[in-house]
Amino acid sequence: MASETGESIRPGRTYIPWDDLPVQRETIAGIGTVLPVVVLYLLIAVLPIVFAFWASLHEIHTLNPEWQWAGLSNYREVLEISTFWGSLWRGIVYMVGSTLLQLGVGLWMALVLNRITRGQKLLTAVVFTAYLIPTIIVSLVAMRVFDPAGGVFQMIGAEWLGLWGGREAPLGSRDWAMRLLILIGTWKFAVFVTIFTLAQLRAIPDRFYEAAKVCGANRWQMFRDITLPRLVGIVTVVVLLRSVFMFNKFDIIWQLTEGGPGNATTTLPVLAYKTVYTEQAYGLANAISVVMFLFLFASAIIYFKIFNPSEEVETTT
Amino acid sequence: MSQSEPPGGVFGLSYDGETRVSEALKLVSTAIIVLVGAWPIYWMTQLAFTQYETVESAVTVFPTPDIFTFDNFNVLTDPEMYTYMFNTVVVAIGTIVTVVLVSLIAGYGLARLEFPQKENFARILLIGYLFSPIVIGIPLYQIWQNIGLLGTRFGLIIALSAISMPFAVWLMWKYIMTIPEAHEEAAWVDGASRWRGFRDVVVPQCRPAIIAAALFAFALAWNDFTFAQILLPQTETTTFAPGILRAMGQAQFLPDAYLMAISLAMTLPPLLFAYFMQSYLLKGFQVRAL
Repeated sequence: MASETGESIRPGRTYIPWDDLPVQRETIAGIGTVLPVVVLYLLIAVLPIVFAFWASLHEIHTLNPEWQWAGLSNYREVLEISTFWGSLWRGIVYMVGSTLLQLGVGLWMALVLNRITRGQKLLTAVVFTAYLIPTIIVSLVAMRVFDPAGGVFQMIGAEWLGLWGGREAPLGSRDWAMRLLILIGTWKFAVFVTIFTLAQLRAIPDRFYEAAKVCGANRWQMFRDITLPRLVGIVTVVVLLRSVFMFNKFDIIWQLTEGGPGNATTTLPVLAYKTVYTEQAYGLANAISVVMFLFLFASAIIYFKIFNPSEEVETTT
Repeated sequence: MSQSEPPGGVFGLSYDGETRVSEALKLVSTAIIVLVGAWPIYWMTQLAFTQYETVESAVTVFPTPDIFTFDNFNVLTDPEMYTYMFNTVVVAIGTIVTVVLVSLIAGYGLARLEFPQKENFARILLIGYLFSPIVIGIPLYQIWQNIGLLGTRFGLIIALSAISMPFAVWLMWKYIMTIPEAHEEAAWVDGASRWRGFRDVVVPQCRPAIIAAALFAFALAWNDFTFAQILLPQTETTTFAPGILRAMGQAQFLPDAYLMAISLAMTLPPLLFAYFMQSYLLKGFQVRAL
């Protein structure tokens, strides 16, 4: 690229008449800098969604990609199969349960971490570990402790609390699989809420609390009138993001139960995956994908209505 | 209650009483968080050092000398497991490099250059938070198959890089805005080009942001299961997470103690990062790269 020093007018190099071009040089450079991001987005987001929509209009076998035009029949089929509505319902149960639990635990951890004075480094490390540890390892440990052969939580649940039978695997039980999935997920994902709210809590100046103390406010009043109003914005965003993430959660469900027992933990992502690989109905799976994408899209619109990114753009932190 | 104290606390407690109660609650909460947070890691570690026959049959709390063993870690030398771990490391490094390079350049452009639709670009970038690996992965499976990227680590690296973008680019952008432009102007006056100014003035000052972005890219790549499961279908080229799940389904002999040993090995890098680099992690979030 040409530079201010005039190095660019070296022999053998094409001279670009910057001043004669209809656009400013800075514009070209600016767009050039974000071009890689745009290319990545086109390749990983726009292209797959267009492709999914196109594929959802065809009858396709997963391993033998011969496309047969099917029109909207895949969508009709999606809405008719009973597993779809069941999965949607289970997905909503999973989403609401996980989000509420994670929000409660995450907020609590953030409030404690914010007020702690000693051992903060270790505590923060413990919290961040849950964020950095791979999901598969969480799943492997969970499968171990809930194993009927020598699993410690299985034993506690069966022998001490009598929640399930002694030889029964709780992850394979219709009653417990969903609840355990929500609990195990919360161990890992509540930290997401903590991290975002903690950043917000740290941004509240201490003098606010000092002023409130001078005015005779008690701790609950301080929390209600200073902390809570500051948290509402970020909590809305986090709830929205968490809901979307949990609605689309695939990894931890697949690793722990593969959607079973029966269909007891089959949510929409698991159903879509099973449709591709078990039923080999690639077109139908794409139709489910498109339905899920529409859900995401609606969430994105709400996201932008609640949280206006242009405010962020204007701040020069 | 004396006159100088603030009046009437919660449940009619005095301010000092209130402080004591909140201190106690804080202590109990901290204890619970540490216990619940650290317990699975402790349990995994102690099982990794326990003989596998014992793990399968009884609940043990600590690997006492009679059941203590290092043998579980032999599984790490198993060629299959070794390949999985090697692939994960390659994908993680590839993702880190791609994310840091692309987000540095884009962040610089957003912070320093004026171009039309800049705000809208930033807005659209945030949609990236809503990309879901399963929604994207299913169509991507056929697309990658058609252009020959299916089953390659490169294909996985670009997919993972794309979903790290919103965080990384916003982080770099916000961070570069905190660096005074005067530093670069001084370099320009001395005859440096914009590129030289970027390379020698901006990039060195971005070190904390680069480390934060790299850590998040690492977390994403190390964590990934869904993309790898769909995009790396062959057993030989897959990464750790889907690989171990498939190995569990196929292997004749793979006791849980071995799985705990390999899990411990895969947990160590994140654990070390979480402890020694938490200041960068916190800084990354404090720039509010949402």
